[in-house]
Amino acid sequence: MCQLCEKYGEGDRWYLNPKNYARPLYKKVEKGREKEPMILDEIRAPLNMIKPLIDLKDKPEAYEKAMEEFTKVQERMIGQVVSLEDAKKMAEIAQPVARIDCICRRAFRATLEDGEHRPRSCLGLGTGMFRWEEWPERYKGGVEFISTEETKKHLEHWHKRGMVITSMAFGTPFIGGICLCDYPDCIAIRMRMDYGVKPFLLKGHQIAKVKYDGCIGCGTCAQRCQFGAIKMEVTTNKSNIDMTRCFGCGVCVYACSQEAISLIDRENLPSLKEEW
Amino acid sequence: MLPTIEIDKKKCITPFECKKCLQACPQAVFAVAPTKVDRFKETEPEYYEVEAVFRDKCVVCMDCVKVCPTHALQVQAGGS
Repeated sequence: MCQLCEKYGEGDRWYLNPKNYARPLYKKVEKGREKEPMILDEIRAPLNMIKPLIDLKDKPEAYEKAMEEFTKVQERMIGQVVSLEDAKKMAEIAQPVARIDCICRRAFRATLEDGEHRPRSCLGLGTGMFRWEEWPERYKGGVEFISTEETKKHLEHWHKRGMVITSMAFGTPFIGGICLCDYPDCIAIRMRMDYGVKPFLLKGHQIAKVKYDGCIGCGTCAQRCQFGAIKMEVTTNKSNIDMTRCFGCGVCVYACSQEAISLIDRENLPSLKEEW
Repeated sequence: MLPTIEIDKKKCITPFECKKCLQACPQAVFAVAPTKVDRFKETEPEYYEVEAVFRDKCVVCMDCVKVCPTHALQVQAGGS
């Protein structure tokens, strides 16, 4: 079972428990951080935390130790892949929801999603969003508060274009964001895939499976997979999903014109049910 | 050994506005962030800095050096 669900789920998936969206949790994280705003850490994380870590790569022992420490710290900000279906349920729980600039893309590609020159892709959740004007640098380009229906459309729009949907905790288990992610811009996907930092992005509760009979070999799913889990079998011209590598995001499900891919529950697969 | 990537901060003044190396790099090695964040105020462009964060992914293709308008970048392959 997913440890987070066990700890914070109260019988359901942890990110579907309304308590994990509550303001008291948010306040608890903020306490004592008045002078050194968490927001500065968040924006400067790639420079202050990740760079020195990678600089150590020439010294394997020190690198490993630092990575361990970093992994522990990251548990306060756990990310997890969620399916479109689950993300829509999250949209029904979270209030308010605001479209914001993706802070990862801003840091790594110097983009600015201000809703005018570029559409905003990221979603900020909860009462903290009402304080956006206090930290205009964090919420650069402004925020756009949207309804539950608009949130669902937003998720659908980006997901169908190939973005992975992830839930982001800011002070686990407080869920403060739903991110729309792709490699290499997304720091969570990157830290998990390239450096193996698990809590940055846990795998989702489902896994994709192909029905070979339905596959026509177009290769769209393989092209869209952000985790390198899909290959085309050359001689049979069928798509092959390595379920041990699959994160269960469901991008391939919507990429398939033949509806040949579906998501199945991780807990029904004995060898994968403890793999996150 | 990792490649070395040196950025002359005196020449690289407003990296977030310029963004050339950040967007040209095929390996997305760079990151840019403000050095300070204030309440109720956006950070001025001069208070941003760029760093070669994912230096281990650099393939020394020199694309960043070529696009840098102020010649602030120096990239060298790591010795073995």
